[in-house]
Amino acid sequence: MRLSDATVVIRPRTTWEAMDLGVLMSQQHRRLLMTSWAIITLPAYLLLTLLLWDSPSLVVMLFWWLKPAFDRLPLYILSKALFGETPTLRQALRQWPALLKPQLLASLTWRRLSLSRSFLMPVVQLEGLAGEARQQRIRVLLQRNRGASQWLTIIGMHLETALWFGLMALFYLFVPQQVELQWDWETLVSAAEHDWLWFEHLVNFLYPLLLILWEPVYVACGFSLYLNRRTILEAWDIELVFRRLRQRLSGVAPVLLLLALVMLPLAPPAFAAEDNNAPDSPRLLNQPLTSEAARDGIEAILDAPPFKNPETVTRYRFGEETAESADETEAKPNWLKALFKWLGSQRFDIAAALIQIALWACLIGAIVWLAWHYRERLKALVNRRPTPRLPIERAAPARMFGLDIREESLPTDIAASVEQLWATQPREALGLLYRALLSRLYHDFKIPLKPSDTEGQVLQRVEQLKQDNLLGFSKVLTLHWQNIAYGHRPPPTHLQQELCDGWRGLFGPGASR
Amino acid sequence: MLETPALQRNATLPAPLDTRYQVETPEGIDLPLRPAGLMPRAIAFTIDLGIRGLVLGFFFLVLAFFGELGLGLGSILLFVVSWWYMVLFEVLNQGRSPGKQIMGLRVVQDDGRPIGWSASLIRNLLRFVDMLPFGYTFGAICCLQHPAFKRLGDLAAGTLVVYREQPVKRPALPMASPTRTPFTLTLQEQRAVLGFAERQAELSQARVDELAAILAVPLNVQVPNATAELNGIARGLLGPT
Repeated sequence: MRLSDATVVIRPRTTWEAMDLGVLMSQQHRRLLMTSWAIITLPAYLLLTLLLWDSPSLVVMLFWWLKPAFDRLPLYILSKALFGETPTLRQALRQWPALLKPQLLASLTWRRLSLSRSFLMPVVQLEGLAGEARQQRIRVLLQRNRGASQWLTIIGMHLETALWFGLMALFYLFVPQQVELQWDWETLVSAAEHDWLWFEHLVNFLYPLLLILWEPVYVACGFSLYLNRRTILEAWDIELVFRRLRQRLSGVAPVLLLLALVMLPLAPPAFAAEDNNAPDSPRLLNQPLTSEAARDGIEAILDAPPFKNPETVTRYRFGEETAESADETEAKPNWLKALFKWLGSQRFDIAAALIQIALWACLIGAIVWLAWHYRERLKALVNRRPTPRLPIERAAPARMFGLDIREESLPTDIAASVEQLWATQPREALGLLYRALLSRLYHDFKIPLKPSDTEGQVLQRVEQLKQDNLLGFSKVLTLHWQNIAYGHRPPPTHLQQELCDGWRGLFGPGASR
Repeated sequence: MLETPALQRNATLPAPLDTRYQVETPEGIDLPLRPAGLMPRAIAFTIDLGIRGLVLGFFFLVLAFFGELGLGLGSILLFVVSWWYMVLFEVLNQGRSPGKQIMGLRVVQDDGRPIGWSASLIRNLLRFVDMLPFGYTFGAICCLQHPAFKRLGDLAAGTLVVYREQPVKRPALPMASPTRTPFTLTLQEQRAVLGFAERQAELSQARVDELAAILAVPLNVQVPNATAELNGIARGLLGPT
């Protein structure tokens, strides 16, 4: 049994859902299950009918009693199909007599009336347990799903009855109206006492017919309940995932090892030299189709369409001029020579020059005319006066980190305001001081601050000013401002005097803005 | 004909059988619904039938004292109870009649939406087709043979009887000091490790050790320590509680 081959999703389900899975399983193999069930039960029923023709009720009773024996076949099919080895009809039927052997008597006598019959059937048939081991297993299994398995059987009984009546009603509906049937309760009751045996057999025959529909489902539901119980008991789903995980993880290690071997630079070259198994060397020489023949065949196919499409193209082109000119010089008549000589004489030089000048003039004139004609468009294309570049005015940032750094927003005496605020609102005090510092940096020291700058970037710019006093003050202030702004850590009390003195030292004792 | 055709070597395997029914929302989210089969539905119906029988019996007894008037009122009551009992409960009580409420079921549309008046009416009017020829023969056969366990009324109305999602109890994990996995785990594997820790109480100790031993080598621990290691990983996955 390999759980990874299971054709159903293995996970713990509620009992009702487990039964639903059984219904689905019986649906998946419905033809095989129903056909095999019909093939084994219908002859048995007919045989019983023939043997006990005089007592129809006994036939049904016996047939019902024998159900566990027939049930073993659907269970066998389902258990095989669970792991993807669905047997054929022939294989299944051939297997049935062997399936009957273990503990048939018990299952037909004292275990026959057990309500958990289909749930416990796999213990004997699939696990092959007997005696004490079986008892123990059953006790464990029944700890949880006893109620559900009993409900399954009870529902099954009622469903069988309902289907039986349903089939009877259907049968009655199909009786044509021409057949005059005077059926009422009295005649039906008296029928049992009179010689209406054939009618009773007919009605009883509906029972094996409806079992074809229901019994495989019943067995499948019991089987899936059993599967679910064991899934919960033994955590099959977890085992599945763990095994897959181990496979995934162990799959990586050999690949790495292989990679290391391939990368090994000290591989002895002798092996490679002796290796005559290269793809190009002739192989398979002792058989009708050698590797050579195969390769030739492959190449022949590769040379033909659709892999290669040779095409003959015919088009006109100029012939070999050198050869023709040689012929012509020979055939040149004398009058032509005389003409060339006359043309080549000095008196045409001036004319030639004039013509040359005229031609050049035409060309230049054409260009000029074109330029004039399209002057408007050219103006649009080539802008001779570059537009004066707008001076980039960086607007003074009104706010940094949400702090207003405009000069107007600051009090006149910063240090005094800070001292005033310090005792009650240290956060506001430090904020005011830092705001004032930023404002100073921007307005007095002309540091190009941007709203996107961080405190650290501001400090870096201050560093570039190379003023140690200012830098030291800025660092201390920034540190404590960050502490209180982001960390909510109040500054030490002695810092107030230090910072205010620092401020006054840097920006004058009046410490105005 | 009954032989299953041999699978081609590179053919995709058929999806394993499951009782889940996936509904994909327009946002691309899969809603897993769990359709309920014949057995719980039969019990739910029986409970409903019993309740209706009791109600009708009680009112008939009372109305029997009113003579002709009682007969008329009784007929009206019979009509209302037999035709509207299911519809009213399904539409006004989130798809749950009392029987379904007890069995943990509810009726929804095929796409998981709550059931409306028209669907509920169709589904319950066609109940009388399902009942043909006697005692739900057609309904039972249809329900047993349909992959989503629908009876004829469900097919016509486009509805589905599903299990309600029950509230989950907080599982108790065995005590262990949280550790981190030496390798990355997929979601499914994380769930399995958590399930291993959560379900340990239900499993026998031998089985727990056997399961943990599967992962002893990848975890780089001795086999006897694998359970504790996995519990630690589960604690780590769970995070602070």
